[in-house]
Amino acid sequence: MRAFPFHLVSVPGIVLVVTTPGFATVYLTVEQAQQMIFPGQSLTAISLTLSEEEKSIIQKRYGAPVNDSMKIWRTEDGRYFIVDQVIGKHELITYAVGIHPDGSIAQIEIMDYREAYGDEIRQKRWRRQFGGKTMDSPLELNEDIKNISGATLSCRHLTEGVKRLLGLYELVLKK
Amino acid sequence: MNLCLKNEVRRCRPLLGTFVEITVECEDGREAHHAIHVAFESIARVQTLMSFHDLGSEISELNRLAFFQNVAVSPETYEVLKRAKKLYEYTDGIFDITIAAELMDWDLLPRHSFLSQTDFSGRTKDIELLPNRQVHFLRPLCIDLGGIAKGFAVDRAIQVLQERDMQSAIVNAGGDIRCFGNQERPIWVRDPQLAGQFLSLPALKNAALATSANSYDKLRRDSRICPHVHGQTRKPLPSPSSVSVRADSCMMADALTKVVIALGKDSGEILSHFNAVAFIAGHDGRMICYGGRQS
Repeated sequence: MRAFPFHLVSVPGIVLVVTTPGFATVYLTVEQAQQMIFPGQSLTAISLTLSEEEKSIIQKRYGAPVNDSMKIWRTEDGRYFIVDQVIGKHELITYAVGIHPDGSIAQIEIMDYREAYGDEIRQKRWRRQFGGKTMDSPLELNEDIKNISGATLSCRHLTEGVKRLLGLYELVLKK
Repeated sequence: MNLCLKNEVRRCRPLLGTFVEITVECEDGREAHHAIHVAFESIARVQTLMSFHDLGSEISELNRLAFFQNVAVSPETYEVLKRAKKLYEYTDGIFDITIAAELMDWDLLPRHSFLSQTDFSGRTKDIELLPNRQVHFLRPLCIDLGGIAKGFAVDRAIQVLQERDMQSAIVNAGGDIRCFGNQERPIWVRDPQLAGQFLSLPALKNAALATSANSYDKLRRDSRICPHVHGQTRKPLPSPSSVSVRADSCMMADALTKVVIALGKDSGEILSHFNAVAFIAGHDGRMICYGGRQS
């Protein structure tokens, strides 16, 4: 089989290294995500206040409380559209989920993805982005970094977030 | 509502256990969004068919039954098995999709209760591909397509976007990338040494690129276990750093990263045979390359 010799290929120029505290990609606005998941439907925003008991059930079952900053809409035929955020070690993700009346997922869309590095970022300013609270100074995230390869990032945090929302649906919204 | 800004539509969904991003350049934003939706659906289908974790997948059905009886599979699964067998033969068994046994032993894959056997001595050569897309195992074995299916899913998505006459597009499934069209795409690879740093790779045009690297977690500290396994020795293959392979298809790029991790510079001939190039990030941040076109 190995009839021909291998040869090294020269790499043009010097390898460029980019150091970035983080990068961000915006995919969809809320309005666009609504059109993607429930096209042509009219959605009504609803406000939801959870009782202490409901909060504690969700925390217990899913290991984390639902976010206070999450936003919920309802279609005329009883489907739900929820915008939520999950935070990982390095990533902050805003996503939208559509839920059918039978509790199954219609679709999940990532709305924006932000990734950041450095202890300072992770501990303070980074976490403060969460929950819609005002930042002291905005993080400068590079929007030119794209087409990234490398160790595969797990979407585990997001999967857990979606499970939490489905739990919220079963426990509170479905009624 | 104008969904098509800058003549480019970019969407992202959680699939294949990672984030899959599809970017399409278009004249008609509505068509682009629809094409992307269908492309995501095709990736979801590959996930449904080929997931090791999912008890209802075709791979689970094969692992459960194919040693005892013939099992009919989808064209997609049949195609991936066919390519995996070819690569197994060409690499003398270094690339082997029957490493699920080792990955279960190391708790990197769940041990399904339906797997009655504990002795999985079969190898990829013991997978018989019969007419009418029937599959039969000659010996007990357990398949995991983790080393090849993600690349195949990207290829399927690209095919969908081409069939729908998109001018150009790029699909990135957690680092398994393929693009088509006139643009040269800048590609960055995560620096395996330092989080938050990115190394530049040669731009990609009408080609695919996949990267295998050890992630920044516990796997790095325990050299006895690793998601990559040498098909001949059945030993873990800790990736020295970050290995990227450029090839014509993403499935081949994905699969060849494992061969390069196993063989290092000796992978040159195999890479050349498949018209592929490997880029390995060295400790000094410089890139080493093997392979290339047959001259």
